Amino acid sequence: MLKILYFGKTSFALRYNEIVVVLNPGIWDGKPIVPDDFSARIVVATNQSDDAVGNAASIAVNSKAWFLGNQGAADKASEKGVKPWLLHVLKPEVPYEVPDLKITPYELSRVDESEGGRIENLGLYIEIGNMKIGYLGDTEIRGPFEQLDMDVLIVPVGGDGVFPVKDAVSLCIDAKPRLGVPMRWSSDEDPKKFAKYVQQFGQGITPVIIEPDQVLEVHWAAGNEFRYELN
Amino acid sequence: MSEKRKVVIDLEESEKVQLDGFSELNSVDASGVLSVNNVSERSRIWNVKVLLGSTRDKTDIDEDTVSAGEIDVGGKWETNYGIKVEEPILTFKEVFDTCGTIETEQPHWAYVSGKENPVKITLTVTNETDEELDNIILNKTIAPELTGIEIVSVKSGTAEYDEGTKQVVWKDFVIYPHESSQLVISATGVVEDTNPKKSGDVVITYRGEGQQRSALEPDLNALTEFLTGIETAETEPNQWQCTLECTNESDLVVRLDKAEVFLTPEDGGEKEKMIDEAPGVELAPDQEWAKSFEVQSKSTPKCTQDLVYTPIGTIKKRVLGTIEKAAQEIPVYSIEYSKTFDPPSVNSFDKTPVEVVVEVTNNGSAKLNEITIEDQLPDDVMPPTSEHVTVWIRNEEYSGPYEFMIDPEDQDPETPHKITFRVENLKDSGGELEPGESIKINYAVMAWRSRPEKEYPSPVVCTANTDPAGIPVVMQSPEDGHKIGVIYKKRAISTKKAINKGAGAGEYIVVLAVSNNGEVTAENIQVTDWIPAGFEYVSTDPEDEEPEVVSAGDGKSMVWKWTRMNPGDKKKIRVTVQGEGEYERREPEVSSI
Repeated sequence: MLKILYFGKTSFALRYNEIVVVLNPGIWDGKPIVPDDFSARIVVATNQSDDAVGNAASIAVNSKAWFLGNQGAADKASEKGVKPWLLHVLKPEVPYEVPDLKITPYELSRVDESEGGRIENLGLYIEIGNMKIGYLGDTEIRGPFEQLDMDVLIVPVGGDGVFPVKDAVSLCIDAKPRLGVPMRWSSDEDPKKFAKYVQQFGQGITPVIIEPDQVLEVHWAAGNEFRYELN
Repeated sequence: MSEKRKVVIDLEESEKVQLDGFSELNSVDASGVLSVNNVSERSRIWNVKVLLGSTRDKTDIDEDTVSAGEIDVGGKWETNYGIKVEEPILTFKEVFDTCGTIETEQPHWAYVSGKENPVKITLTVTNETDEELDNIILNKTIAPELTGIEIVSVKSGTAEYDEGTKQVVWKDFVIYPHESSQLVISATGVVEDTNPKKSGDVVITYRGEGQQRSALEPDLNALTEFLTGIETAETEPNQWQCTLECTNESDLVVRLDKAEVFLTPEDGGEKEKMIDEAPGVELAPDQEWAKSFEVQSKSTPKCTQDLVYTPIGTIKKRVLGTIEKAAQEIPVYSIEYSKTFDPPSVNSFDKTPVEVVVEVTNNGSAKLNEITIEDQLPDDVMPPTSEHVTVWIRNEEYSGPYEFMIDPEDQDPETPHKITFRVENLKDSGGELEPGESIKINYAVMAWRSRPEKEYPSPVVCTANTDPAGIPVVMQSPEDGHKIGVIYKKRAISTKKAINKGAGAGEYIVVLAVSNNGEVTAENIQVTDWIPAGFEYVSTDPEDEEPEVVSAGDGKSMVWKWTRMNPGDKKKIRVTVQGEGEYERREPEVSSI
């Protein structure tokens, strides 16, 4: 069973057996979303912004975990004390693989709202256990994700340099994952609209809003029946 | 020979009836005038007393006997009284149906604004008594908004419409006991504003000859010119014949009720009644009545008399009635609507959820029982599903029954759809929509790759009706109304190509860089690159971007198809080809929507 713990914003932890992967443990308004002492095997930041890298270095150092990210994120993590031997730079479309886990990054980007232009960002196609998770991080483009076979697709919906609701819904409709999960919303209305539109226009897709500190459990019952539970 | 005149006791009773706009009884007031008319041409009557007894119970007359004093020749005495009654003797019902062409159990009670209302007015009068009613005249005022007045049918009498006075007058008929008569009028009502109108009042007058609302049965007791005397004539010595003689000296008929004669004995003993009659005889003017007895007496007998008589009265009575029915208020039903899109415009070639809100407001003066909204969705729009509509009535979410239909019943964005929302029988599910209140529906549609050169009108038709349903009021947009705006976003697919030498002999690496530099997502992108004759496709990096390789006459073509590229999306493909000869360069072709 895969457990997906949501911390808020774009921060998640994926737990499968002994593997714990933390995604984008960002710092927002000066406060970390994920506790420094959160125990993880792998910490991933999809871009170098504070709201993605955040306290990833602290978590990685405390847990002696691997840090994964694009070059910008890796540089930042290194500055913050992650040992070089625990750093792994993710290259677009080059998978990172350990037992029960395969992460394939894809080159995406987000808008840099403070300085203009774009910030490189990686979308992650995560095969963990027997589940396929799409995690777009902070992105305003969809890249190849509409063509990937996914059980769970986690997309930003806030519109502040990343997908607004309409583009997140549009990607869900095209990609047809089993579950569509919104993240990084700017208002409480964003995830509700996402869920409403996906339910209405995404035939066969179930929207799931995970509130911070809730856990989404997904598994294959009898090996072929997809089931999920939100706790 | 003198005419036989009788004193007339006249009961003229009136009832005045007030009905409300729906012909319900508001009040009925009855009163009467009791008069005694001395119809004599030469005789006064005096000591006149009207005897009522217990028959005065339903009236406000205090005494069983009412003194009328002296009434001169041709004179009249009268008194007024009130009568307690519950119902009139003539009942009336007006049915003002604003939509007479649609038969319903209850009449339609409101005009639809801006349309021709086929009004049908049915007036029914019923005689509730055991006697005939006559002198009936009904005046129906016709409201100014009605035209084309026609008398459809009249059961009895005559009915005519007077254009000058705007009145229908129905008269010249009687109604037999417990029967009804009916007049049916048709007209066309047209109202352009929403202020309540009036149906026009009705006034009816009628007469019930020989009828009365009280139970009075008056009798008369009076004196008039009446000559009486006792003639004593000796028929033999000491044998006398005494004769009581009465003569009606008046020109009225007088009834002699009692005639008594008493003889005083010669020795002064107790009087002896010699005539004791109650003849009850009616004496015509100048008619005489006599009665005799024999008595022996040495002297002339001494007799005294006691007579009771009275002029005879005859009762005449009638009821005069008036019914005034107030005009019925006729409200007007009317609606207005608004329709909004949020966002009002969508980016071209994009998929965008659009919130649609249609609000129908009752801006008339009548309550509405059903509302229908028909919304036409153009193509390139995915319709909602029926479970995703939200309805508010009076700004509160409505959970009562309604219909929400989508035709055709699918979510195919390539075909137009018609959405129909209908809520009926509001009176039983939260109450009818009062004037000023509104009903609002919201649903989302998905604008589906809207093209900038096209227009996407989404016209709407809103209808409403009352209970019972008549002609619906309709508000609709023009056929090309309510367009979903399309913001044109420029498309720009960039394709760059490089041909590099590979590691081995005859091996080339063709690098293709495709990027969406435009402002809008591109879809169904197809990139085609040519491989010259003599060269073969070997492999692609990344592997999952392997093209479809097809023959192209003078070589082969590699074809890549991508369903979508967002602004900023890039693809870089390295194709390895192997062959002999010069690798000629041709520019790749790209197409998209």
